Amino acid sequence: MSSSPTETRAPGATTLVDVTMPQMGVSVAEGTVVAWAKQVGDRVEADETVCEISTDKIDTEVPAPVSGVVAEILVGVDATVEVGVVLARIAVDSASGELPGGGGAAAPTPTAAPTPTAGPAPTAAPTPGAAPPPHVAPVSGAPAVNGASHRRYSPVVQRIAAEHGIDLSVVPGTGRGGRVRKQDVLALVEAAPEAPMHIESPYRPDPVPAGSGGQLSRMRRQIGAHMKRSLETSAHCTSWIEVDMTRVQSARARLGVTALPFVASAVIAALREHPQLNASLEGERYTQHAAVNLGIAVSLGEDGLIVPVIRAAHELSVEGLATRIRDLAKRARTRALTPDEVRGGTFTITNPGQYGTIMATPIINQPQVAILDLEAIVKRPVVVTDADGNDSIAIRAMTILGLSWDHRALDGALAAQFLASLKRGLESV
Amino acid sequence: MPTMTYLQAISSALRDELRADERVFVMGEDIGVFGGAFKVTDGLFEEFGPGRVMDTPLAESAIIGTAVGAAVVGMRPVCEMQFSDFISCGFDQLVNVAGKMNYRQGLAVPITVRLPSGGGFSGGPFHSQNPEAWFMHSPGIKVVAPSTAEDAKGLLHTAIHDPNPVCFMEHKHLYRRIKGDVPSGIYETPMTARVARAGSDLVVIAYGAMVHVALEATEDVDGASIEVLDLRSLVPLDSDAILDSVARCSKVVIMDEANATCAAGAQVAALIAEHGFEDLDGPVVRVATPDVPIPFSPPLEQAVLPSVERVREACRELLAY
Repeated sequence: MSSSPTETRAPGATTLVDVTMPQMGVSVAEGTVVAWAKQVGDRVEADETVCEISTDKIDTEVPAPVSGVVAEILVGVDATVEVGVVLARIAVDSASGELPGGGGAAAPTPTAAPTPTAGPAPTAAPTPGAAPPPHVAPVSGAPAVNGASHRRYSPVVQRIAAEHGIDLSVVPGTGRGGRVRKQDVLALVEAAPEAPMHIESPYRPDPVPAGSGGQLSRMRRQIGAHMKRSLETSAHCTSWIEVDMTRVQSARARLGVTALPFVASAVIAALREHPQLNASLEGERYTQHAAVNLGIAVSLGEDGLIVPVIRAAHELSVEGLATRIRDLAKRARTRALTPDEVRGGTFTITNPGQYGTIMATPIINQPQVAILDLEAIVKRPVVVTDADGNDSIAIRAMTILGLSWDHRALDGALAAQFLASLKRGLESV
Repeated sequence: MPTMTYLQAISSALRDELRADERVFVMGEDIGVFGGAFKVTDGLFEEFGPGRVMDTPLAESAIIGTAVGAAVVGMRPVCEMQFSDFISCGFDQLVNVAGKMNYRQGLAVPITVRLPSGGGFSGGPFHSQNPEAWFMHSPGIKVVAPSTAEDAKGLLHTAIHDPNPVCFMEHKHLYRRIKGDVPSGIYETPMTARVARAGSDLVVIAYGAMVHVALEATEDVDGASIEVLDLRSLVPLDSDAILDSVARCSKVVIMDEANATCAAGAQVAALIAEHGFEDLDGPVVRVATPDVPIPFSPPLEQAVLPSVERVREACRELLAY
């Protein structure tokens, strides 16, 4: 994830390797440190998590580029820094013979005197430039050890060693040519000293029946901030329209999908007819968008919600939309979305109707200018008029679509026209 | 529970299906009056008559094509290829017509093609092949390959009930060599792998006749604990079971009686390389038939087919790694 680590020489027999804020998607320029998994002085193995970071709504972990000891932590929790900024430095003990890949040109000498090409030399005297490095440590990805520098370990052996913090250089190998086998490292794991016997009193007071609670999660705080900001920014108005979904219901049953992709498809068509709603308003700057990048609100249960975006949704059929919605929702719930997949929406649909509610006043997803709310579809008696103008009462699958729109960007007539064309589209599926 | 040979188990499945479901009928070369080249269908003609046990001309393309048509209008045909090698003559009907019917037309093609396959009895290059990988490579066709009498009956029921075309690879060499307890009546064996013997130091992955070679070869290899995983189904391939065995054992030998290149075992090896890498403690080892026609000469045939000795040696080498 991070680019090739840069190393700096420090006094003594150590090399410092930078841990930087990684690039996580093309449009992401910065990230926030959420928590440090390691503290200064902690031992860390290559690829082990050093800290957790967050960019917008996506949380991820930063792996250590090399094994070593955390020497410095340069960015505190909750600080936001640009991609590439050094977050921490890991000291690699050169006596252990390990060097990160890519930086191997200047090999450390065993006596710790830096070579002239290796950057600042604060204390020790540099060796003459002509002197060849007396020992070049291997630069392959596999951990290597002085005295056994040609040892290579199988994937499973490396994994078990990392999980149990075992230094493989001291593990006797019983495989061919002294190779360390899985059972060799497992034997060491099993032989590890047992935890001391428990000698505290077994008495434990009854737990206080406290209500659950505490600090709001990071996601809740972010959702809260977004919602407050939107209410303070936009002049929210909500318009509703009643739509006969009977045809959609039979079409969706035929395709084996939910009504949502049909609504999405009709929304896209209505947006093409009224592009003023496929827009963003930032301050006094109003922009209409040619492409429809459709945001779909996905509930993450108690954790909150997220709005993944279907890019160029106007190019997709109903089936295509259904597939994309399913995929994005699934990955949203497994936290597998990339930052780029939750940005750049031009219009948003929210769909909490599964619980039977029939109306809501959704909050606009800034900087968009409108959001559509799809609630429950319920059978109701309605008056229908046939081709000859005769009225009768029929059972139809009805829903109420709610559109919250920004009165700064448009007026009620346009919102009503948009809803009317949406209704036409859905009733003629 | 009655004890049956592998062959009797297959016959029993056919008889039970013919009795239970009037949509089921069987067709093939000499399967009626003569009772089949291997006598799998012996007695069926007498019980069910020529309308449901049909002798066909020597034309595999016609057999499968007829079955596809019957399946599309609601029947459940079971075709016998006299030898699996002969299916090359029916390839287009199976791979292009049956396999793609659902994709193209949305129609189910519930046909079962029984493929007596495998060597070991000096049948020569036209009567000894294991063509299962041809069909694994072609979307729309399922492929199963039982190794025991119980699974032979259960998987044949599953295959006949399945709405897709299914290649049922029945190993000729097991017909009368393998016996076992078989539940009576109709039951379905799932298209998943089966741990034939549990172990923890190394796993041998095999299917069909090779399961028995694997079990014999690994009964005692210097006291090591060796697992044998019987794939049973090649499409769908039970990747969860494979990766689970690899995670526990970390060393893998994969067997194929088929020619090595692009065999089912090659697909298993690729799966492990891609998804089981972090569990491996040694190279993935394959024991397969080299890429040569199966020789007629008995000593030459024994030399190319995976033997108990070759498997044992491969396990010993890998255990020592």
